[in-house]
Amino acid sequence: MPNTSQTASSGFTLFPRLSGAAVAGILIAIFLMAFLILPVAQVIYVAFLEARTGSFTLQNFQDFFSTTLFRESFVNSFYVSLMSVVVATVIALPLAYITTRFNFGGAAVIQALGVIPLIMPPFVGAVAMSLLFGRNGSINLLLNQYLGFRIPFMEGLNGVILVQSIHYFPFILINLSASLRNIDRSMEEAAQNLGSYGMRMFRRIVFPLAMPGYLAGAALVFIKVFDDLGTPLLLNVNNMLAPQAYLRITGVGINDPMGYVISFILVAFSVFSLWVSFLFMRGKDYATVQKGGGGLSRRDLKPREKWLAWGVILLILAMVLSPHIGLLLLAFGTIWSFSPLPDGFTVQHFGTIFTQSSQYVWNTLVYAGSAAVVDVVLGTAIAYIVIRTGLPGRKWLDYMATAALAVPGVVLGIGYLRMFHGIQLPFGLGQMSSFWGIIIVALAVRRLPYALRACMAALQQVALSLEEAAESLGASRSSTIRRIVVPLMTGGILAGFVTSFATAAVELSATIMLVGRSSDAPLAYGIYLYMQSPAGRGPGAALGILAVVIVAVGTYLSQRIIERERARQTMTGDQH
Amino acid sequence: MNRISAFSAFALMMTSAAAFADTVTVVTSFPRDLTDPFKAAFEAAHPGTTLEVVSRNTNAAVSHLQETRSANTIDLMWASAPDAFEVLKEEELLAKVDVKFEGIPDVIGGYPVHDPDGTYFGFAASGYGIMYNTRYVQANDLPIAREWEDLKRAEYNGHVAMSSPSRSGTTHLTVETVLQGEGWDQGWATWKWISGNMNTVTERSFGVPDAVNSGATGFGIVIDFFGLASKASGFPVELVYPSVTAIVPANIGIIANAPNPEGAKQFVEFLLSPDGQKVLLDPAIMRLPVDPKIYASAPDGFPNPFSEEFAPGAIEFDVDKSGVRYNLVNSLFDVLVTYRLDDLRGAVAAVQKAEAAHADTGNKEAAALIAEARALIEAMPITEAEAQDPAFTQVFTISRAEPGTEVVGRQAEIEQAWDSFAVENYRKAKELADQATAMK
Amino acid sequence: MTQTKAGIRIEDLHLSFGDTKVLEGIDMVIEPGEFFAFLGPSGSGKSTLLRAIAGFGPTPRGRILIGDRDIANLPPWKRNVGMVFQSYALWPHMSVRRNVAFGLEERRLPAREIGPKVERALEIVGLLHLADRMPAQLSGGQQQRVALARTIAIEPQVLLLDEPLSNLDAALRVQMRRELLALQRKLGLTTIFVTHDQEEANTTSDRMAVLDKGVIQQIGTPQHLYDQPANAFVAGFLGTANILKGALQGAEFVTAGGQHLPVAAMVKGANCIVLRPQNIHISMSDGTIAGRVAHREFLGSQIRYLVDTADGKIIVDTLHSSGRPPYDEGAPVSLAIDSQNAPLLVA
Repeated sequence: MPNTSQTASSGFTLFPRLSGAAVAGILIAIFLMAFLILPVAQVIYVAFLEARTGSFTLQNFQDFFSTTLFRESFVNSFYVSLMSVVVATVIALPLAYITTRFNFGGAAVIQALGVIPLIMPPFVGAVAMSLLFGRNGSINLLLNQYLGFRIPFMEGLNGVILVQSIHYFPFILINLSASLRNIDRSMEEAAQNLGSYGMRMFRRIVFPLAMPGYLAGAALVFIKVFDDLGTPLLLNVNNMLAPQAYLRITGVGINDPMGYVISFILVAFSVFSLWVSFLFMRGKDYATVQKGGGGLSRRDLKPREKWLAWGVILLILAMVLSPHIGLLLLAFGTIWSFSPLPDGFTVQHFGTIFTQSSQYVWNTLVYAGSAAVVDVVLGTAIAYIVIRTGLPGRKWLDYMATAALAVPGVVLGIGYLRMFHGIQLPFGLGQMSSFWGIIIVALAVRRLPYALRACMAALQQVALSLEEAAESLGASRSSTIRRIVVPLMTGGILAGFVTSFATAAVELSATIMLVGRSSDAPLAYGIYLYMQSPAGRGPGAALGILAVVIVAVGTYLSQRIIERERARQTMTGDQH
Repeated sequence: MNRISAFSAFALMMTSAAAFADTVTVVTSFPRDLTDPFKAAFEAAHPGTTLEVVSRNTNAAVSHLQETRSANTIDLMWASAPDAFEVLKEEELLAKVDVKFEGIPDVIGGYPVHDPDGTYFGFAASGYGIMYNTRYVQANDLPIAREWEDLKRAEYNGHVAMSSPSRSGTTHLTVETVLQGEGWDQGWATWKWISGNMNTVTERSFGVPDAVNSGATGFGIVIDFFGLASKASGFPVELVYPSVTAIVPANIGIIANAPNPEGAKQFVEFLLSPDGQKVLLDPAIMRLPVDPKIYASAPDGFPNPFSEEFAPGAIEFDVDKSGVRYNLVNSLFDVLVTYRLDDLRGAVAAVQKAEAAHADTGNKEAAALIAEARALIEAMPITEAEAQDPAFTQVFTISRAEPGTEVVGRQAEIEQAWDSFAVENYRKAKELADQATAMK
Repeated sequence: MTQTKAGIRIEDLHLSFGDTKVLEGIDMVIEPGEFFAFLGPSGSGKSTLLRAIAGFGPTPRGRILIGDRDIANLPPWKRNVGMVFQSYALWPHMSVRRNVAFGLEERRLPAREIGPKVERALEIVGLLHLADRMPAQLSGGQQQRVALARTIAIEPQVLLLDEPLSNLDAALRVQMRRELLALQRKLGLTTIFVTHDQEEANTTSDRMAVLDKGVIQQIGTPQHLYDQPANAFVAGFLGTANILKGALQGAEFVTAGGQHLPVAAMVKGANCIVLRPQNIHISMSDGTIAGRVAHREFLGSQIRYLVDTADGKIIVDTLHSSGRPPYDEGAPVSLAIDSQNAPLLVA
């Protein structure tokens, strides 16, 4: 975090800007307190209560650490998160490298496709993956039939690692690509000039320079996997922390404080991980040292390299898109049971959902779109306050917003019900906790960390001198932000918008607690309803395809805008 | 049923009831396959009345009703799990309403249909059965398992799935039924041997039929309508009822301070009327009506729990016994089976292997080792008497503890002790069995 | 530090960005040990040419020889030419020492050789005491020196400097350019220096090439180029020049305005004459060309007048000595031209 020198230089002259930022900071803090911290605190303070008397105690924490199962769960969660980061890196690195280093046809498509895993609706992803990779999935049935063995892709923790890394690698891809593009090309040329090239140069020069982006992405993946309960639960893996918390909080009539203890530990450990990644990134704000920008020089691939690149990319994409392939087969298949492919194909499932889908689609667009707008506005503001001002406690805005990653959706949902139930809204909107607007707030809070990371990374790459130039030309602080900072951050902001929107569009765990009536329900809710009955698997998958297509189109369009924006900004760099 | 579906916790709908005077708002865990036909039939029978259906998972529905009791906007709770209704009833969230119906017996398959205090009513029954995938069975050349005992056999190793009783009220009843039918120790032994053959213990009750439908597993212990509806949807699956089964009513109850109590009562009476009961025979629903008359119009092969040949071994289900140790049994199952499935499977597989190796050798020493290993697997950390002791069971039911009861220990502490017990026993059993296998 | 001196020969080099031609028909020979400058305005192709020698940018057509080796088709990392970037391109994640050691490490030198070589290079640029700083902790001049040290550490056959002084302030720039020159003389490295600043080129280089629009306009020593520009562009780019149109008539150049200027050199078909401001004498009435002062600039040691004449505006410099009254704007003046050695051009 590049604060010290800048805050020192801010000094007294910038008093008016501090007050503006302070107001924004206070408003954001109030928002986060009201919609994240307090609701969650309402739920997890139970961790500190003696279960029967209700008095304060730390006994529960002692129990946590003396329980073998919980210690094992902790180790498993840690292992799975770490391995997911490793596998996600293996997936993301070649994609990011090839698309940013070479003139490669379809680079934009690959970048857009790379986001699609994030928009896999819950339930269907793991179902589709099991159908393809499970013990009796397509791959293993074929392997077993022809070669007589099976590969345990989905057994135990393997399955969780596989599904999680396929789901979350875009976080690394997006951040890493952005960082790679921001490297001054002379950094690379200097290395080549001194005799370095290829993988060695990538390892010694390019990758370290892209480290801030990579770390941001890797930290996100780590925390997300650490806190995610959906995937382990669907794969019936329960010896991990998040599922343990969930299982213990949600039993009917059970009031096991351990669930809340685990929730608290999840939040605390995630914040700790972030802190570690911040420590690691300290002093690595390379933007101020790099002058030119404009990204790595792209070169043309030789025909043989092109084939190799396509081979690698297609292999990765086949793996990454396998849940979608499975989903497509489900949506168009008739019966799919113990066979490599469905028995037959039909479009009937799409006919089934046709009548109800428009309301779902509309709601999804409104909720996810509004939430994403809220997220990039808050994300930009927080990033600016954290990186560019000396506001006391500014980092807590970051920590608070990022802590949302660590809050299971269910906990947030229950917290909202506790906080906002009984508050009547004016204009006949009914109770606050059942008003559809609260869904947007919940989505915004849940997805804020994504947008925030993207905005942070974008702002870190904007050299301070560019702002100072504007200020020296007489631009006020606010118009500098509006006319210089935000336009320069456009790529990052859009990336944040896309990520927030795409993931919010398929979010279920918190929203489902808050949907007031069926006419307010988003797509993911519809998918959930269908997928709970045997006859609903096909229509549910069809609805899932619809969700993927809608979000993919939105993502692709945003990607085009980002590409165009970048092309415009790097144009000047090519003229020497 | 469906106490929890993994992802979703459903909360309640809080439509501003004043705005919809003729709206009956029902919160339900049932899929739309079930609710849509009822909504259509009810609205046709009562023109001008709208049934607003809010789909949520049972557990969140309950916690939501608890959280929002001060300003309730829900008329009805419509779900399977009887224990969820018990919780609501104890917290006085259910209204006691004089609902009129006739021709419905008090007991079905040994389980009371309605709440004796009149706060909730059974409208459909479901039994537990074994569902299997015909393609899977054929491909793996397996015989059909018809009884719980069959699933203990070595040939089913890795081919069975069920959901955790702590996640599914009906699974809990199945577990409890076997415990009551076979006795505490023998019942648990049965469950451990079956569980040793499992490839998964799912966290969603729907996860089991899903796994059987897709062929991920061969046999699933499921509630009947999942099997029947899956078959009706075209999946290559079949359902058999073992001779000992739990019959569970699915329930509906009117919420205290309901905004539209009259409409709520109308809907309950409709459900229990012959017209409402007939809707249950819809192929997508496939639940057993509680009105015996309806079976006359049921399709061929539709199971009838009131008939003589259905589940001849059905036991007299002791609701009080079940109730007092409800959470303890769930916790015990999770600690001994769900969370230690790998250890248990390892031990059971080792014993099965040793038994196969010494089927004909007559090696006494090996037989002794195997017997010891079996005893270790079957050993229980607590006796039935302890499991019935309120001072002990209330460790697991903190929220419902009577103020006067002295409670010993904390859940985490006890579970840790059980966990060490199970891990050590399974480890030792595997060791002994491996030793036995190694003997010539 | 010993370098094998190598000359550079560039033969018929063409280079384009897509359809845009950037370099056309470049031919030049740079002698071993020479300090050579590429001078030209921005967009002239001078940086592109330098980068082509280093191996960056689109692959050019033609030959680039260092010594006897044609490097045109080698990747940058096999060329053994050292380049100092305009932005210095110090890697911010490495200390000064590691930056300088990088190229040696890439050459797989044993560690015991790398250490002394790094220290030697840092010593040469006078920064040994800052070896363990990070680049962000250095001033611009220091960064420049580190970049230089990093390049000379690998003992390249050729040193390429891409506008190395442009990011420094004026005083430091003068100092650095002297240091650069001294270093070059000391190491005897064949050096190419890219700049748009004629003063930098004049003061440092043995010879230079002036480029415009991707074409070499002229090659020669600074003085030769100043005195004998090959064309109007060179004349105008090197120092200030008045270029008057006209025609050669016998031993006189007759301007379009009708002035008869005696010239020594005979250039066939010449139609322009290059008159340096300091070769024109301004007075009240002693000259041959009448004009009127349009503008006056005080340059310190000189005063520059812009004089309206029949041949258009003519720039005249006179030495400034205190007390002498300058001509006011609008004042009628007379110009005397020393045209004897003025270069003639065919435009």
